[in-house]
Amino acid sequence: MTIAMPSASTKYVFGKPENPRRTVWFFLGPCVAYLIVFSIYPLFHSLRLSFTDLTAAGGTGNWVGLKNYADLLVDPLFWNAARNSAIMVTLAVALQVVLGVALAMFFNLHLRGSWIVRGILLLPMLIPPIVVGVMWRALLNPDWGLVDWIISRFGLTPPDWLGSVDMAIVTLVLVDSWQWTPFVFIIVFARLQALPQDVFEAANVDGAGSWVTFRRIRLPMLMPAIVFASVFRAVDAFRSFDLIYGLSYGGPARGTTTLSFFAFQNGFQFQNYGYAAAVAYSMLIILAVGTTVILRYVHIRGPGQ
Amino acid sequence: MDDNDQSESSRKSLAANRRDVLRAMAALGLTTGVLGRYGVSAAFGADFDWKKFAGTKLSLLMTGDENDHRALADLMPQFEAETGMTLEVTSPALGALIEKTLQVLQAPQASFELIEFLGFLTTQQVGAGYYEQLNQYIDDPTLTAPDWEIGDFLPPAMSNVGYFDMATKTVGKGKDIYGIPGMHSGSVIYFYRKDLFDAAGLKPATTWDEFKAAAEKLNSADVAGCSFIGANDFSLATVDWYTRFITTGGKLMSGSPQTKDFKPNVNSPEGIGALQMLIDVLPYAPKNVTKYGFAENVDGFSTGKIAQMVFWSTIAGPIFNTENSMVADKTGTGPVPAAPGQTPRAIQGGWGMGIPKNADPAKKQAAWLALTWLTSKAFNKYEVDKYQIDASRTSTFNDPELVAKFPYLPDSLKAASTADVIPTSYIPEFFQLNDAMNVEFNAALLGTQDAKTACDKVQASWEAILKKAGHMA
Repeated sequence: MTIAMPSASTKYVFGKPENPRRTVWFFLGPCVAYLIVFSIYPLFHSLRLSFTDLTAAGGTGNWVGLKNYADLLVDPLFWNAARNSAIMVTLAVALQVVLGVALAMFFNLHLRGSWIVRGILLLPMLIPPIVVGVMWRALLNPDWGLVDWIISRFGLTPPDWLGSVDMAIVTLVLVDSWQWTPFVFIIVFARLQALPQDVFEAANVDGAGSWVTFRRIRLPMLMPAIVFASVFRAVDAFRSFDLIYGLSYGGPARGTTTLSFFAFQNGFQFQNYGYAAAVAYSMLIILAVGTTVILRYVHIRGPGQ
Repeated sequence: MDDNDQSESSRKSLAANRRDVLRAMAALGLTTGVLGRYGVSAAFGADFDWKKFAGTKLSLLMTGDENDHRALADLMPQFEAETGMTLEVTSPALGALIEKTLQVLQAPQASFELIEFLGFLTTQQVGAGYYEQLNQYIDDPTLTAPDWEIGDFLPPAMSNVGYFDMATKTVGKGKDIYGIPGMHSGSVIYFYRKDLFDAAGLKPATTWDEFKAAAEKLNSADVAGCSFIGANDFSLATVDWYTRFITTGGKLMSGSPQTKDFKPNVNSPEGIGALQMLIDVLPYAPKNVTKYGFAENVDGFSTGKIAQMVFWSTIAGPIFNTENSMVADKTGTGPVPAAPGQTPRAIQGGWGMGIPKNADPAKKQAAWLALTWLTSKAFNKYEVDKYQIDASRTSTFNDPELVAKFPYLPDSLKAASTADVIPTSYIPEFFQLNDAMNVEFNAALLGTQDAKTACDKVQASWEAILKKAGHMA
């Protein structure tokens, strides 16, 4: 085989190979431009907005420094939203991790036909959250919803799913878990499949029972996957907006108004763009700090560590 | 030109011709139908040149939450045939509409030549100087058909979306017009089940005491004695509470935003009393009324599960629709109840339509011509007849043919004529104030606080919002 060498007259489209900078920029340029225009610029623009008093009627915002952030700290509605966000994230992630791990352990038994159920189990993840919200609002309708009808057929009184302030946030957690437990399950299940079997065989030879094996060996080895799924779900649940919009619209009595919904209300209902941007950036700060702390203090040990 | 070019050209020509023929046929068919039923040719005046801007392409941003866009879709072929213009319509839901409208109004050049805005947002959008003053177009006989008649629009509707005094930023004042009522206006009326009232020997309620007494008497396992919007919903405050409030002598605001003494009176005796009235009828309302918004009440009433309620008159459409409503021939209407000595009246609702100041200057006159077509007598009549949308013109409400067909119209006209522009709509913070009220009132209906506590909380919250916005010292 012969290879044709470039002659002195060869024209290179992306510049000479010995000077690849032009080629690199040719391919990376569009991506960088895209990131600048659609990610970095909006980020900085909204950050600047958070230091202004921009409203719809005003059109142009005046620089107010940290006033929006100071106002947030004394706004009871902000703290109510922060409290609801914290409750939702904590309960939802805890429930989803417990159920997700339990499901992974169950499906790891490889019972006959389990692959069909496993496939069906993943379906909720494929539905847009806004559709999930509207669908469950209909299912939980106290007048004609299917869930209440089934419960009442057993002679029981259905809970006031979305009508009670205390119950509404629980309902939100349950619906979120219905949709996203499969995500935790699939991450943990994948890890479970990849665990080395010799460790369990050794434990078995040493006489370890199933509970000890689970607690001392399987669970620690699953921790990287569990932590990953938890952090991912916590971030996602914290930002959750469309599910709330479709399911409860922040009510009743602001019982399900989370920070993201609060930001939406201020931005798009009340047109207080500066204040809404400050809410959004406070969310970013909370997320950044929270994620860093979790990853710093939750030690993930792999096999043999 | 080679053969391929020629055949391509012929294809395009044929396609264009076919499209034109179809459009003309549609226009002719619809025009004939509308002409026969609504006398459109007379309404549009034979001498007026509707085609002076033929060929112009316009864009309209309007609500998709109501039936206006359906009426417009029905009549679009006629619009195109009669004006020679094309109108591209974008009709999102309210939240998205507000967001998009503000983006369009603040852009260097608007991408829409016509925008429909909610009456409650007149101060926010017109007051910010985003809309073209329309007097010059109204007064120009070459641009406004003689039978269009600005004086035919309901005065409260004009006050709500039309007149605006830029100097004092006051809606409903002065002679400068920035919006035209349309595509529909409306207020609140009393709906009741004639058959149930007759069977119980009751007369329709004219006072709130009678309303409660009727609710108690008519309440049964199958039918709720009354209903209202009890959910954390826009209309809890604006329809159910506000109607009770002003018909028992309440005055929502004192002072004015201009003098920076715009003070709320939510926790006045009338305010607390109005909320207490809603709490008092909870035992006779549907058991889940605290979750009832607009749709649940309309469904409940039209399926015969509610005996009476005060509601936006625009729901006459689904209530009196014989195909979908089980109570179309059993429903009566009347003015809202009021305390003895008080005038029955309720909030002014509805929409306005205007031309953005930043629209293409070359298209503004064409946009005005289209606007007069869309707010014409014939269009308004079509909307009421086909969809029972609330009229914005006096002549439509009084049309003998329509009145014979829809007996609720005189009550609707009375309500619309005496309607009250809610004073919180004078400031851009209207939705924020409304939200604060709905949340606390909904909590009171849920039983987590009493009426006085709820009203005190709303009063404090409103004062904080008004002070922050600079409307109250």
